[in-house]
Amino acid sequence: MPRSSRLTWERKRPAAMLEIEKVSVFYGEFQAIFDVSLRVSEGETVITVGPNGAGKSTLLKTISGLLQPRSGSITFLGNRLDRMPAHEIVELGIAQVPEGGRLFPQLSVYENLRVGSFLPRARGEATATLKEIYGLFPILDERKRQYADTLSGGERQMLAIARSLMSRPKLILLDEPSSGLAPRVVTRVFEFVHQIKSQGYAILMVEQNVRKGLQLSDRAYLIESGRIVKEGPRKTFLEDDYIKKAYIGL
Amino acid sequence: MTELLLNSIVNGILLGGVLALLAFGMNLIFGVVKIIHLAYGQCVMLGMYVVYTLAVQMHLPVILSCIIALPVMGIVGLVLQLLVINPLLKAKANPLTQLLALAGLTIVVENAAQVVWGADLRGINIQLPLIHIGNVFLRTSNLIAFFGALLTLWGLYLFLNRTYLGLAIRSIAQDLDSARLMGINPRMIYFITMAAGGILTGLIAAFFSPIYAVHPHFGGSFTLMAFIIVVLGGMGNLLGGFIGAFIIGVVTSVSAVLTSTEIADIIVLVIFISVILIRPQGLLGIRVSK
Amino acid sequence: MAATLTVILVFAAVGVFPYFVPSPYLLHIGTLIFIWSFITTAWSYMGRFGLVSLGHGAFLGVGAYTTGLLFNFYGLTPWVGMLLGGLAAVGLAVVIGYACFRFGVIGDYFALVTLALGEVVALTLIAFRDITGGSLGFTLKSKGTSLFYFQSEEKIHFYYVSLAFLILGLLVWKWIDRSRMQKALRAIGEDEIAASTLGVGIIRYKMVITMISAFLTAIGAVLYAQYITYLNPHTLSGVAPSLEIAFKAILGGMFSLWGPTVGTALIVSLEEYFRVVYGSTFVGFSQIIYGLALVLLIIFLPKGIYGSVQDWFKKKA
Repeated sequence: MPRSSRLTWERKRPAAMLEIEKVSVFYGEFQAIFDVSLRVSEGETVITVGPNGAGKSTLLKTISGLLQPRSGSITFLGNRLDRMPAHEIVELGIAQVPEGGRLFPQLSVYENLRVGSFLPRARGEATATLKEIYGLFPILDERKRQYADTLSGGERQMLAIARSLMSRPKLILLDEPSSGLAPRVVTRVFEFVHQIKSQGYAILMVEQNVRKGLQLSDRAYLIESGRIVKEGPRKTFLEDDYIKKAYIGL
Repeated sequence: MTELLLNSIVNGILLGGVLALLAFGMNLIFGVVKIIHLAYGQCVMLGMYVVYTLAVQMHLPVILSCIIALPVMGIVGLVLQLLVINPLLKAKANPLTQLLALAGLTIVVENAAQVVWGADLRGINIQLPLIHIGNVFLRTSNLIAFFGALLTLWGLYLFLNRTYLGLAIRSIAQDLDSARLMGINPRMIYFITMAAGGILTGLIAAFFSPIYAVHPHFGGSFTLMAFIIVVLGGMGNLLGGFIGAFIIGVVTSVSAVLTSTEIADIIVLVIFISVILIRPQGLLGIRVSK
Repeated sequence: MAATLTVILVFAAVGVFPYFVPSPYLLHIGTLIFIWSFITTAWSYMGRFGLVSLGHGAFLGVGAYTTGLLFNFYGLTPWVGMLLGGLAAVGLAVVIGYACFRFGVIGDYFALVTLALGEVVALTLIAFRDITGGSLGFTLKSKGTSLFYFQSEEKIHFYYVSLAFLILGLLVWKWIDRSRMQKALRAIGEDEIAASTLGVGIIRYKMVITMISAFLTAIGAVLYAQYITYLNPHTLSGVAPSLEIAFKAILGGMFSLWGPTVGTALIVSLEEYFRVVYGSTFVGFSQIIYGLALVLLIIFLPKGIYGSVQDWFKKKA
């Protein structure tokens, strides 16, 4: 689909929250990400798709500060993230749900949620936030005394997402929310993501399940071998032949 | 004979209380910082020397000396963090290297103690009354140590389970990266852990001072014992350490009475070797790939 | 070629040294260096392949005490006693080695088991104080200068005998290098799991190298005991000598032939220096420096001094 003229495109574009500009990330001598540029605007849901090992998770880790880019810049609401330690990035308002959830195995559901509100600014409202969370995910209220590793796959993913909300973030990074889950569970998980989206959070999602993921998203990027190969609004992606063949399997 | 046995069991339990504190400190440090603090017993020894210096050489009241020893040892813990632990972590040293580095540290501390305070026994020489309960003789100093230790452990339990900081510490121990994603600063947690570990050594030193006289090799046997307890209970497992402490306390005490101190130590060492061979994750430990 | 020539020259120099500088004190230091280099090299047979033992004091104690006690009580010549002591050490090595290797205990856990073992031996020796003299140790009955009883009142004899033992130790190292065992052990040292899938007889190779190491360590201890004619459980067993051996090897670099010797020479000289300069005013001062140096070295130079120098030379090439 032809792009609108540059000027109208810019006028239509809402304020950018997260700006990633020409970022390259290395694991030792191995380059995982090559000059990637990406943006997420307020209230937007952006999805990055691509094959395994393409660098999508690496990108999220870099945004959250678990990895440092070798070049390029990452800006969030005017703050440079690329040299900031991970915990400070969380304070700015970025929460990540890592792949598989990475819950604390020897903490209960309740405690996992509590840790989520560790930040001083979230602590005060922790009880209120918790109430909201239990409202959204009643099953977590039921299981709140259970150890996190006794939950089912879908419940764990819900807990992980809920935990990320406890820090009252502005942007949520989701790393493969459907990973390892049965199709029916995946549908439920995406329903929750949709609920979160409708609350106004900005979401940057990495997802293998392209079809379901695209349905939720406003814009998409295709990353292959550490490079951005395509980008555009959802409709473009859904109608694109290459995407359809390679990733949606039609 | 049964009197003797009973006495030794009771005293073993009392000793176990303080050993449980020692094990707690080591487990906390191992769980959070992921380093086996082989010089922990030596730190207790330093604490005792501090109490000695304050109480005997500077003629301060004993209780005050003990209280002062706490923050002093907390600072020692922090210094250790800065000078030894951080470089080890930065150099990404493998566990063996860490072990050797800390073993080297024990040599430094023991010999420094010898240089500063000499090789003789240094005691604070206070006599506390003996209590009879039936046929059992209990020393007040042991009772104070025991109840003090239990009280402290209770407080630590509450701290770890009811406060945000305690939660943060437990999170870092379980999944470092995940904890960072919660906004927890690992550096700060390491500092707090090492400082807390240090303060604990000061507290243990305070409990030990009325019971034992200190000498430069005092730390060695306690480090070994604490270490064996920690392995027995499962490294990083606080409950395991607690249970292990009482087991080892009683075994040591009873063996010493039935045979001799050396054989008691040999028995403990044999238990240690057996645990590593048969069940290296300890009684309550979770098997993580070796 | 140049290397072999240098080695021969060095040995020649060391050999004729006593005739040019007839100082009993230097002969003494030299002898100590040779003996401990021999022992440290024997330790490194295991260390270089990832079997870091912190309990070689066990072998020292078993070797020296077996020989010494058999001599004192039964007049058995130390040359035979040495073999028995060595075999006893091997026996111990087999028991603990098999237990560890069979249960897959490696790395730092292995080090801890050996540490405990060293202490067990030390405590046992102390516990049976009626026979061994306990913490105070015991002295060998004097036989003057006697080859049969492996004693001498002339320092120079032990100087040469120790040197011969050191050469033996180094030759054994070279022999190990050339054997099939070396390749297998290196594979095991680098990645045990991978090696086991290749069908390498892991337990067998580990056992062999442990037995060799134990045997020679025990013999080295006998050599030391015969030289000093005095045995003490704190110098010949337990944690302290075990750690010292490990440290000397690591300092010098346990992966190279000369590493352990270099490390030993440095440490012994350093200790002597501090003892002479600071004397008894600062007992333990030398140990502080020594401990500090080791901590720093372990953190910053994992290959030891000699190993790092070697690397540096290789880089320049």
